[in-house]
Amino acid sequence: MKFQADRTTLIRALAHIQSVAEKRNTIPILANVMLSIEGNLLRLTATDMEIAVVEEVAAEGSRDGAVTAPASVLYEIVRKLPDGSVVELDHGGGDAPLALRAGRYATSLNVLPVEDFPSMVAGELPHGFSIPAPVLRGLVDRTRFAISTEETRYYLNGIYVHVAKDGDLPMLRAVATDGHRLARVETDLPAGASDIPGVIIPRKTVAELRKLLDEGAGAVEVGLSDTRIQFRVGAVMLTSKLIDGTFPEYERVIPKNNDRFLRVNKQAFADAVARVAAISQERSRPVKLAVQPNLLTLSAISPDQGMAKEELDETSVSYDGPSLEIGFQARYLNDITDQIDVEAEFVFADSAAPTLVRDTNAPSALYVLMPMRV
Amino acid sequence: MLPGDSPPTTRRIIHIDMDAFYASVEQRDDPDLRGRAVAVGRGEGRGVVAAASYEARRFGVRSAMPSRTALRHCPDLVFVPPRFDVYRAVSRQIHAVFARYTALIQPLSLDEASLDVSGTYRDYGSATQVARLIRAAIFEETGLTASAGISYNRFLAKLASDHRKPNGQFVITPQMGPGFAAALRVEQFHGIGPATRARMNALGIFTGADLRDAPIDVLKRHFGKAAAFYAAIARGIDDRPVVADTVRKSLGTETTFERDLSDWNEARNVLEDLCAKLWRLRTARAISGRTLVLKIKYADFRSVTRTRSESRAIATEEMMRDQALVLLRMFFPLDRPIRLMGVTLTGLEGNSGENLAQMTLFDDSTC
Repeated sequence: MKFQADRTTLIRALAHIQSVAEKRNTIPILANVMLSIEGNLLRLTATDMEIAVVEEVAAEGSRDGAVTAPASVLYEIVRKLPDGSVVELDHGGGDAPLALRAGRYATSLNVLPVEDFPSMVAGELPHGFSIPAPVLRGLVDRTRFAISTEETRYYLNGIYVHVAKDGDLPMLRAVATDGHRLARVETDLPAGASDIPGVIIPRKTVAELRKLLDEGAGAVEVGLSDTRIQFRVGAVMLTSKLIDGTFPEYERVIPKNNDRFLRVNKQAFADAVARVAAISQERSRPVKLAVQPNLLTLSAISPDQGMAKEELDETSVSYDGPSLEIGFQARYLNDITDQIDVEAEFVFADSAAPTLVRDTNAPSALYVLMPMRV
Repeated sequence: MLPGDSPPTTRRIIHIDMDAFYASVEQRDDPDLRGRAVAVGRGEGRGVVAAASYEARRFGVRSAMPSRTALRHCPDLVFVPPRFDVYRAVSRQIHAVFARYTALIQPLSLDEASLDVSGTYRDYGSATQVARLIRAAIFEETGLTASAGISYNRFLAKLASDHRKPNGQFVITPQMGPGFAAALRVEQFHGIGPATRARMNALGIFTGADLRDAPIDVLKRHFGKAAAFYAAIARGIDDRPVVADTVRKSLGTETTFERDLSDWNEARNVLEDLCAKLWRLRTARAISGRTLVLKIKYADFRSVTRTRSESRAIATEEMMRDQALVLLRMFFPLDRPIRLMGVTLTGLEGNSGENLAQMTLFDDSTC
């Protein structure tokens, strides 16, 4: 196998690929990237057996073939080469090392046999639809912060994507929750998606997908079965197993009868939360909101450091309901306000009940936040 | 305190204690149980009484009494299994009542709490009146009765709460305090258990008055640092503040066997069940910890603990089980049978104790 590729092309592809490769090295070959060249088409593959990413880029091939080499080392080397370099990769076959040359730089990397590289088979994907990258990005960004990291609740370790009726209209919906907060975002149902099964996309897959969505504004092709999902973003194909579990009946915990509406300027609120919470040493950093007509008082108490308080008045707050005090974790508030454009709407019931949060400019997203006892 | 303020005045502490709490909740929810001798707990095997109704107490049934003994005292005793979810829910209702009168609430258990109303009692006239309002609100909102003790410190307030039980309240004033303390038997004081009592008795100290009159250097020689606390408490002085929201330090579960165990495989099975239960408890409370403690009580009631700490929080149920088994192996081969086994998670960290205040969206059963 022998080819030349320019550094820029190679580094972009390796950046997509290398984080999928297994770093814990339980199975050595999973730390490797497979490079294969056929004519002028270079294919790079990495997998951790849960996710596989394949990217195809143009290269100048001179001898067809394939090899596997350590992904992170290759990435680091190529990254450090000067801009505009042309990189030559040359592998004589068998156990011979992979020679990498760029200008006057040369290295040789140990390889592992291509035959040992596991292939992740997507199997048949009976469902398929196309969704604009910015729309998919919106679904991911506004839900992923709420994904649980609690391994025992594996069925919450991802984003639940499914078709749901909003009134009569079927929508494509993404939901994530960690049991303390929940994010639900929906978008018009793409053509071909009406029969898809509800699936839970694992957190790592979400993170890899999100990286790919950074660049393109084009369409993402999604293929789906009960156990696998595949995204084609430009020249990259991401295939992943799905979480085999049942997502809880989340609709039950979305409050229907909350009736105390507070509107607050997002920036003023987020800044006040951060300033007030700064006094707290605890990880949960509780912030108390005291809501009165057109006045919101945020406060935090630390047994060791003292207390902090900030008032937001009618220049940034509107409220005309009965007075209310309610506490939340600062981080949970900020995670939600990060997703909000200009103005947030909180809808409360009481200090011990789930609170609804919306972006007044983006009714397609809805957040539920459980308070703290403060 | 600002310059010009008057010196600190006497505190106003209220101790609230629900009357026969678990049993009363059961009688409230099942009319068939009303007026009958009820014990919450398991009636068979080595079960113990977790709580007894007043009807049962008349026969001498007490909490923590082995069920067999209880049935001997009261053959008509009805056992009902505990419903801790319900007790916790009622406990939250009660705490919501407390919170209307003060922010300084120290829960001591699901059914008991100390309240410092020094800053708020004037709005209601007196602390006695606050206690009356709280008890009325508890009855109104839960259908259950509570007793209250009112005094100038925690120890005397708790003592007072027992004085007019059930459904009553009692005040120990600063004038009465020293007399009350003097009349107590030493084991009735906070912090004096059977061992300390025996040592005090050996010194001729049987009552609060004896303790008060004992020379402080004698107490110091025998009880070290605790001497000053004993001397104060014998005079009715207790400066312990009411501390709101005590952070949980450990989480554990244990079981007493139907019959004593000596076989490795049996012990391992029990331990694995305990670990599974402890894992559920920690998951439900979103607690993580890095230290596991295994407790063994032998048939002769001697207990021994073994502890193992990891550098990071125990992340999976398998890790917890493996760690517990390492600890269990240290006890084998056994030189005598085991009566009880328990596992406790400590070294709780970060998002642990404080996160107890974070409420959850889903019940544990569904999510």
